[in-house]
Amino acid sequence: MHLKLPAMATGVADTTAGFPPDWQERWRVAHQRIDHAGYGDTIARNYRRAGPHIAERVGPAAAIRLGGSVSAASIRAGRRAAGLLIDAALHLTEAVSDPSQFMSWLDMVDEIAKRGPESLAPFLENLARLLDALGFPGLLAFVRMGLGVSRQDKARRLAFFSLESGEARRLLDHHARADVLGALTPRLKPYFGALWGFCPPITEPPADAPEIMRRRSGFGGGGIRLPPSYAGFPRDDQEQLYRATLAHIGAHHRATRARFPAVGLRPLQIAIVSLIEDARAELLAMREMPGLSDLWSRFHVARPEGAPVAISLMARLSRALLDPAYEDPHGWVAKGRTLFDEAVSSDAHDQQLSRRIGGLLGNDIGQMRLQFDAKTYVVQPAYRDDNLAIWDFGDQSEPPTEIEAMAEGARIEQRSAPDGRKEEGEGEEKQSGRLRDAGADEGTFAARYPEYDHVTGQFRPDWCTVREWPPKVAPPAAVNTLRESRSDLVERISKLIRASRVSRQERVRRQPEGEFLDMDAAISAMVAWRAGEVPDARIHGRYERRSRDISVLALIDASHSTSDPVRETGTSVLATEKLATAFLARAMSELGDPFAIAAFCSDTREDVRYVRIKDFERPFDDLALGRLAGLESALSTRLGAIIRHAGQDLKARRSYRRLLLVVTDGEPSDMDVDDLHYLVEDARAAVQELNREGIDIFCVALDSGAESYANRIFGQRSSIQISSIEKLPEVLLAIYLRLAS
Amino acid sequence: MRRGANTQRLIIVMNLDAYRISSEPFYRAVEREVELFEAAYRSRMPVMLKGPTGCGKTRFVEHMAWRLGRPLITVSCHEDMTASDLVGRYLLDADGTVWHDGPLTLAVRQGAICYLDEIVEARQDTTVVIHSLTDDRRILPLEKKNEVVKAHPDFQVVISYNPGYQSVLKDLKESTKQRFGAIAFSYPSPDIEAEIVMAEAGVDRRTADTLVCAGQRSRNLKGQGLEEGASTRMLINAGFLVAGGIDIAEACQVAMVTPITDDSDLRDALTGAIAACI
Repeated sequence: MHLKLPAMATGVADTTAGFPPDWQERWRVAHQRIDHAGYGDTIARNYRRAGPHIAERVGPAAAIRLGGSVSAASIRAGRRAAGLLIDAALHLTEAVSDPSQFMSWLDMVDEIAKRGPESLAPFLENLARLLDALGFPGLLAFVRMGLGVSRQDKARRLAFFSLESGEARRLLDHHARADVLGALTPRLKPYFGALWGFCPPITEPPADAPEIMRRRSGFGGGGIRLPPSYAGFPRDDQEQLYRATLAHIGAHHRATRARFPAVGLRPLQIAIVSLIEDARAELLAMREMPGLSDLWSRFHVARPEGAPVAISLMARLSRALLDPAYEDPHGWVAKGRTLFDEAVSSDAHDQQLSRRIGGLLGNDIGQMRLQFDAKTYVVQPAYRDDNLAIWDFGDQSEPPTEIEAMAEGARIEQRSAPDGRKEEGEGEEKQSGRLRDAGADEGTFAARYPEYDHVTGQFRPDWCTVREWPPKVAPPAAVNTLRESRSDLVERISKLIRASRVSRQERVRRQPEGEFLDMDAAISAMVAWRAGEVPDARIHGRYERRSRDISVLALIDASHSTSDPVRETGTSVLATEKLATAFLARAMSELGDPFAIAAFCSDTREDVRYVRIKDFERPFDDLALGRLAGLESALSTRLGAIIRHAGQDLKARRSYRRLLLVVTDGEPSDMDVDDLHYLVEDARAAVQELNREGIDIFCVALDSGAESYANRIFGQRSSIQISSIEKLPEVLLAIYLRLAS
Repeated sequence: MRRGANTQRLIIVMNLDAYRISSEPFYRAVEREVELFEAAYRSRMPVMLKGPTGCGKTRFVEHMAWRLGRPLITVSCHEDMTASDLVGRYLLDADGTVWHDGPLTLAVRQGAICYLDEIVEARQDTTVVIHSLTDDRRILPLEKKNEVVKAHPDFQVVISYNPGYQSVLKDLKESTKQRFGAIAFSYPSPDIEAEIVMAEAGVDRRTADTLVCAGQRSRNLKGQGLEEGASTRMLINAGFLVAGGIDIAEACQVAMVTPITDDSDLRDALTGAIAACI
């Protein structure tokens, strides 16, 4: 930060000259108050010097007001922060466009000094960078978010304002438009799918992962992790690099069928076996798709020159194994190539050849006494993944320190990486077993969604993590109760749905009256008339909706508040939800309408839970009933993220109408949010997003006496509050009438 | 003509020679479909050909018609098709009304194979007219004309049915389905598909292999953005372009990528994946 102080004698000098005459007295009072407050000479002197400059740029009132903030900062956050504040104020006079911004910045500073004094100094230190990346309105949002996310948690707040937390970093990345991956993902996903025939989730590494991990790609647990961008590569190369990475990871998926046990191997051996395995997987892939060789080889830039250290020799060997035209005089590289060629020409599918050759070559490096530092080793070239997923590190509690750096990445990945959804009783999804072995008892990563902050009017990018949790299944008795209850209601609902016509318009012909002339009928009538017969008078046609073409996803709120009773009946909200859903599901499956059920609750934004009860493709059978019956009320309600997630399922449906039916008590809440309106407004934003996508959302709010925000979130016309299950048919009628119009 | 006067009713009999297939249409059998069809034809069993777009169903019927020496009358079904479009109707001319046999009646009278392509596209009330032809009655009542046409001994009904892409709402009636023997088609195995591309488009084996590889990449996206992957027909089209001197990447773009999707991200992904095959 550059201080632009007016040249001035040191010591106590008269600085009032910089102020208009009618402000001079007030300025004198202000700086004398600081002079005499005992904050130290430096602060007093700097404030005195800065005053006239600030007065000139943003007005005398601002200079005097700064005095108040300096006092507050000194008292609450310490002298260092106060000193930084004066510097930052001078910087800000250059950056703001009008004096009111300067004043609101001082408000921000006062607010931080009051609510998070420990964070004031790092905030002021980072001010230039933040302003640069976010601009003034973004800065305001940043401060509010920083104070909002961590009311009680000092360390977290400090990390945020020091730009060390993932939340802060993500916000900066997002604003700095460094989000290359985000922009390319819509193209990369189908690219991978086209090459390899399945579509695993593609995510960024967690924002709080170590930087070395954030820069590498990796896979495992059913998902693929790609760096936010490839540092040091020109923009034009980025997409090719991502493609090369995905092609490489897919090649592993196809070729590396079992993990190599890492026990007893030194890091260098692990690295070399990985290198051979990379080459073997790529070779098999190129046999299938020869064009991959061009894609990969452009990133192999190792050349037969320079000092023969382990890392450069390995890069050269990598190139030699991929590129037959590459010549390298080094004996180790030549040996590696010969061994590899021999082995793959006999059976390239033998995964053990990598272990064997890697072992031999690793020994050679050892005998050549070449240095290898596992902590700084990065797999080359950049498109290759970190190779942690092809190793089984066992569950040795204390791995050798050299491997620790590598294994740490693997652990983080297992915690965060997505898993292919597991569905018992269902055929294997198009994913191999090896990519899917993640822990099942804690829910598996499904997606991240932004969240709308109504205070700042901005979306917090990648804010909520949705995890899919396996459903609990209730004992048969509970299922039977659910199955046998109230067949009269089911009957009424079925009838009602059967009568509804939610579809595209169809042309109906040969009608006695209608909107247009049915030419075929008219010709036959004419023919009959000419032939002396009695013509059929039904010569008109009209447009009609004759059948249903609708997909419905019912979303059941299973948060803690659903254990409250529904007001009129005394049965719990959750029990009523189950009953209503069972009725609806039975009616819809009888009619053959595509129908899905999911339940949700949340435990802070890190764990928004989505439980699949029944998918569109599956029948509504005892398994689904058991899962429905097994739902229990727990935790909170983060409605927005869930609506966004369910929306993804519905977007994939190709029906004429797509309906998301949310059954809830209408009260969003979560542990990490104090401001109730925040979640309400976010849910409202999510509803509007889906509406724009052409998905209808309807809320059935069960009246538990708690305050319901359903109207605010879903809109007056799209939410109905009911106080007993008997009202359900009427509600459904209203919904269907609306959809059919 | 005055109303009530005797109406002269003419029947126009068409010559079926135009429907005869004189030279052998190329068809590479994948499994036992030729034997199966021949066996079905021996008892004149109605046959349903199931499978994705462009996998060779129509070509197969042409080949079988040629092999069996029967004329082939193909009807492409669509949603506005009425029973009259199939069966026939009276038309007006200067002198009065004239009956025109529809394609189905023509086939029934003269002993052709009647191929109803993409039958689910037709409305269900239209498809029921084949019911009386597809059971042991083998008759076609022409209500308007007050006539019952007995099927020629050589007559056979063949339909094609693509269960994949129609919605649940567009399905055959159970009573229609049960009248047919069905032969399932899918894309041929890569080796056979390459042979087909070579033979049809006149390209070398290497080109054919590349095109098949590209086709598989596109089929991998079925249900993940694409409704259907590139069909064998599309691969052959790309082969024609290559044989005509177009660079293979560009040929794939023109014949396999651009026609299949309007989504630019998907197109880009597909182009990249095809590049991996070349």
